[in-house]
Amino acid sequence: MIENFILGSASLFGDSTTIAIFIFGVLGGMLFGAIPGVSMLTLAAILLPFTASLDPAQGVMLFAVIYCTGTYGGAITAILFNIPGAPENAPTAFDGYPMTRNGQSGKAVGAAVLCSAIGGLSSAIVMMAATEPLANWAISNIGPPEIFALVFFGLAVASSVGGRTIWKGWMSVLLGLIVATIGQDPVGGINRYNFGYSDLAAGIAFVPAILGFFAVSEIFVQAEKKAIGKYEAPKMSVKFPTILELWAQKIAVVRSIFVGFFCGILPGIGATLAAFMGYGEAVRWSKNKESFGKGNIEGVISSETANNAATGAAMIPLLALGLPGGALTAMMVAVFQMHDLEPGPMVFYNSPELIWIVFSAMFYANLSILFIGLIETKTILYLLKIPFQFLAPMILLLASIGSYIGRGLVLDVMVMFIAGVIGFLLRRSGYSIPGIVLGIILGKIGEQNFAQGMQMVHYDILEYLSRPICLLLIVAGFLTLLIGVYRALSYSMKS
Amino acid sequence: MSNIRRVHIVEAVVWLSIVLIFYFFSFEFDQEIEIYKYGATGWPRSILILLFFVTLGNFLHIHKKGSGIQLGRVGISDEQEEISYDDFNSIKKLIAILISPLIFALSLKPVGFYSATPFFIAVIIFLLGEKRIKWIISITLFIYFLLILLFMVVLNAPLPQGNVSPFYDFSALMLTLNTNLHQSLNF
Repeated sequence: MIENFILGSASLFGDSTTIAIFIFGVLGGMLFGAIPGVSMLTLAAILLPFTASLDPAQGVMLFAVIYCTGTYGGAITAILFNIPGAPENAPTAFDGYPMTRNGQSGKAVGAAVLCSAIGGLSSAIVMMAATEPLANWAISNIGPPEIFALVFFGLAVASSVGGRTIWKGWMSVLLGLIVATIGQDPVGGINRYNFGYSDLAAGIAFVPAILGFFAVSEIFVQAEKKAIGKYEAPKMSVKFPTILELWAQKIAVVRSIFVGFFCGILPGIGATLAAFMGYGEAVRWSKNKESFGKGNIEGVISSETANNAATGAAMIPLLALGLPGGALTAMMVAVFQMHDLEPGPMVFYNSPELIWIVFSAMFYANLSILFIGLIETKTILYLLKIPFQFLAPMILLLASIGSYIGRGLVLDVMVMFIAGVIGFLLRRSGYSIPGIVLGIILGKIGEQNFAQGMQMVHYDILEYLSRPICLLLIVAGFLTLLIGVYRALSYSMKS
Repeated sequence: MSNIRRVHIVEAVVWLSIVLIFYFFSFEFDQEIEIYKYGATGWPRSILILLFFVTLGNFLHIHKKGSGIQLGRVGISDEQEEISYDDFNSIKKLIAILISPLIFALSLKPVGFYSATPFFIAVIIFLLGEKRIKWIISITLFIYFLLILLFMVVLNAPLPQGNVSPFYDFSALMLTLNTNLHQSLNF
């Protein structure tokens, strides 16, 4: 492994064009992740056509680097503006934004920088050491039934955070799931709920929905406060967390690395579920559950460590099985195909140089989060000083461009603003926006794997539950649900 | 004593309408799939049935315990604040803020991004309380040129051009200028 890593590093830093592409990816991912309204997906969508003129290794490496640094960059907007740069940063906002409101933005961003780097580096090292054995384990143990069981467990966790009550948490998730059914069904390709619009046959695009629910609805929430004279500008602070404060969270970091890696390795699941589960586990194991959602640094640390730990792991199903784990890894498949390559087991034998350039680039990208991230953070924090009336149109326009660029449809910009209005109304009534988004993301994956899983077990529930991983995850999901319902029935309400 | 208010009834009716509408439209694609027992409707209808029962659960919960925040919930601190409107002007302003992005989105097809954007920026800045004309104009121009520089000049991203004259002509002019700039810089 070390030999290959050195060879990969030499190829990466031995060519000036490759170095320039690496630096562009690092800075571009961080910048697009950290600008509210756009995300790493916007940058990736813009760059996709240009990768045709690059070497396959350079093209795939560029996207892998953007994936690492963009996942970290999205935490900054989540913490400073309550606008997650990507769905995987949504749980970061639960505690990150309250920290900003309490004047602890520097601490939250500092913790995100460090933990993103730790999560990403650990994941990169495991990825380099164990891609092939882990891929073999995944092939023999993980199939559609297990993936559906994990989706079910993830949705159960998502319903337990974010909404005013467990009922509203579930209603949010179910709304996301029903939105995800718009478009063709994943088994027979039959059009569902297109209401006569041919553009809807491909379903509700993922990026506009996310930008609408997260970015636009947040602008509307703040605009409402401004309209009634209740707006308070977020407080800026550049005070980073101390070593002792971070050391106290070591268990949360280690736990989130495991959670993130496990979720990342599963095809189709990716970093979003990892972040939710990392956050959910932090709440579950905490002695001070009440402090979550009010500015507990452990919430930021757990979510950011888990989502970055999933980035390296997500490369395993992509490279070893050819299965993307999310939107960005799906674009990486397109980069492979542009160069007449197919990601899958044969890549390791046909293009080992490509694999090791990508692996070493991801390692250095995560390392650079630590150094460039700290410098960038000090600058980005000054965004909080821009008056809201000047920042809001900028965010709305960046979000419009971000949603238009993916498919080149004005309909997507409309969808984004409609999602923004709906998100605004739902937030006012105490529903969970991250729950809706997770429902949209996991809906199609869940349905597809449910259908395939049922076919595999011949529609026999007992046969389904005889698979140990399925049984474990389904029981864990139901327990999470039942505990939530029990709490709703027995706990009192805040006035 | 019931905690139900009119707003909760409206909320429940909206959710149940979503369930009914989607259930009704599911008959449009109620087709069998040879390889899959539950067909194209199995999954969406199961979700709708769950949503129906969860909506009822939510309604009964509000009836018994009110609509406050359940103790032990996380990730909701931002939504705790009660918003109340003292005057009709604030409501008008909020409605204008909610509607203007939709108008902007509708205008993108005929007018195009390059022509619609400056007006949109100025309107939003004004609606958010900035009354100094000099500031509105200068910030509008700053944001506009920054976006053009980043997305048109640097990234060459395709943006809506509009299809109605003279807006389309203006977009074409912008793109020609960009092409000339790229050629002169030898991009």
